[in-house]
Amino acid sequence: MQHGHTLVLVGMSHRVASVGVRERYVVASNDLPANLTALRSIEGVHEACILSTCNRTEAMVATDRPELVAATIRSHLFRNAAEQETYSWSGAQALFHVFRVAAGLDSLVVGESEVLGQLKRAGDAARECGAMGPLLEALITRALHVGKRVRSETELGLGTLSVARVGIEVAGRALGEFRTKRALVIGAGETGVLVARHLRDLGIGRLVFANRTLERAQTAAEEFRAAGIATECCGLDELRTRITQADLVVTCVEGQSAVVEAAHFERRAVQRRDLPLVVLDLSVPRAVAPSVTDIDRNVLLYDLDHLSRVVAENLRDRSSAADSATSILVHEAHEFLGKRAYQQLAPMVGTLRQDFETVRNETLDAVAGAEASAREVQLAHELSKKLLHITLERLKDSTKRLRPEEALEHEYRRFLESL
Amino acid sequence: MSTALQLLQVALPTLYVLAAALHGAAVTGHATHSAQLRRVILTATLGAHATWFVLLGWQQGQSPITGLWPTVSAVVFSAVGFWILVAREERHVGSGGVVLSVAAVFQLLASGFGPIEPDARAAQSTLSLVHVLTSVVAAAGLTVSGLHGALWLLMYRELRLHRFGAVFGHLPDLETCARMMRRAALFGFLGLTIGLNVGIALAHQKGDLRVDYGNPEVLGSLLVWLYFGAIAFSARIPGFGSRRAAIAACAGLVALALSLLLVFSPIPFHRSL
Repeated sequence: MQHGHTLVLVGMSHRVASVGVRERYVVASNDLPANLTALRSIEGVHEACILSTCNRTEAMVATDRPELVAATIRSHLFRNAAEQETYSWSGAQALFHVFRVAAGLDSLVVGESEVLGQLKRAGDAARECGAMGPLLEALITRALHVGKRVRSETELGLGTLSVARVGIEVAGRALGEFRTKRALVIGAGETGVLVARHLRDLGIGRLVFANRTLERAQTAAEEFRAAGIATECCGLDELRTRITQADLVVTCVEGQSAVVEAAHFERRAVQRRDLPLVVLDLSVPRAVAPSVTDIDRNVLLYDLDHLSRVVAENLRDRSSAADSATSILVHEAHEFLGKRAYQQLAPMVGTLRQDFETVRNETLDAVAGAEASAREVQLAHELSKKLLHITLERLKDSTKRLRPEEALEHEYRRFLESL
Repeated sequence: MSTALQLLQVALPTLYVLAAALHGAAVTGHATHSAQLRRVILTATLGAHATWFVLLGWQQGQSPITGLWPTVSAVVFSAVGFWILVAREERHVGSGGVVLSVAAVFQLLASGFGPIEPDARAAQSTLSLVHVLTSVVAAAGLTVSGLHGALWLLMYRELRLHRFGAVFGHLPDLETCARMMRRAALFGFLGLTIGLNVGIALAHQKGDLRVDYGNPEVLGSLLVWLYFGAIAFSARIPGFGSRRAAIAACAGLVALALSLLLVFSPIPFHRSL
């Protein structure tokens, strides 16, 4: 029965909801097991996986009741969210969406590669909770393959793009050269380290990691100390002092409440600055209270919604590369669906194999009986094996022809128009 | 001679417009020409402008910088020269379109209204010539500083309002704008320092030992000198950050324009040296 499941995806992303809305529906890594269990408990849901990043929160499920589960998932994960702030796809459209996400085509910064790691970790988490099954296993594996293929075969892979990098570029327009600047990175997780790497590449003068646990900050700092950058570490209790000394503050933390508030800024020190203090909030939920801009005009705050405006330019530049990814996406979706359709015929293939063996044995008995020589037995076995192979190949082709690649491409174009 | 002068007088605004258009197109990403063409046109423009001054001086038999419009033209010439200096030092030509456009407008006015006949009040002595030249150099520095102050404020506004369009993408960053503004202010400040001292020396030479600090021309010049000194050294003055310096530089540009009008005003309260 499991091969008859349909893929359903319900989600909320930067395309349909602002960061202020998205931050309310983030599923923190600690909450993943409970949410996956809740999804699995929905009637008709057999497999589940949740991808929650700063750009999106999405639930992918394998179900035999596709028309019913979407609404239930929406009410569970996106309670009180407006209808237009979420989306749901099923079947081939859900497949297209997952492939686009993996390829970075649906990301805030088109082509960014962080999403590949995030998708892989989402699969790992679901597997640990026992929520993965054959459909989602195959889907995630194929999506990761598509993501890598698109980046290696199109111009989308050129340069290492990420929201972090875009944020740093914006900061650079205010601060100029980073050589003489001091950056405070709050959060020593993956994004924090990525931000620090971009800053290292731009020759940042001094780097400070602030983290809840000092040990993690020190671990992150080692890489940059080794690269010869003056790097310091501190706990969140030192934020006020460190912010006063910084030229750039970047927050990349996971949490439900603001880490940086107006009280962390010393008004007089901000007013006396030569260049504005740039604050980049790359966290979802946002880690910087919007009121920090009220302290003084010398504070420039950017969150993911603001950075998405820079990305609009990036999107235009990369639209041709995104077009060239279409053929890869459609081809991979065609292969995946063909394979899925063939897998649905598994019981029939088993019966067919059994029938071939029965006919072979009966024919062998009828022709040669008990006096059949070893050569005759071998001939019968080889013949039936080859005939079975030809039959199964024809079957495989016919399952692919059920949904020709051209028709799928047409379907993909319609899917794009509906976005 | 007169025909060549008139031809150059007409050609100069056109050349500045062309140079501004080429620089503007280059920073907005619409350029189809090479950087070399931009350099050639800009060099030709400055060359033509210098030739015009030489021919004008030759025809008049004295310093060509006499009266309001030739002075404006000299400020335009020096300002573009200053801009080339600071832009080369910063390796950023992003402000070229704006600076050259303003230069084109003022050169158009100078060419349109500028008399070719010599000014009766023209400075004759060497000291007078130095006074005039250093004052022109100062005015040019202050103009470039004021323009970069304006660009700083424009860029800051775009950053604050989260607008990431052409201004955000193509103007120099805030730090570079601030450096160009301060560097140009420093040039202006130095020019003004020499100009003022030479002016005082001229007053002594004329036997007028007491410089009248109540004279609007003297008082205005002293105030502009102090003002741009503060902008030039604003990075070292606590609390006088780039934003305040940029506002001050813009206001200084307006004050400079008023000061020039005052110096060349036909109203008899001023006392030209």
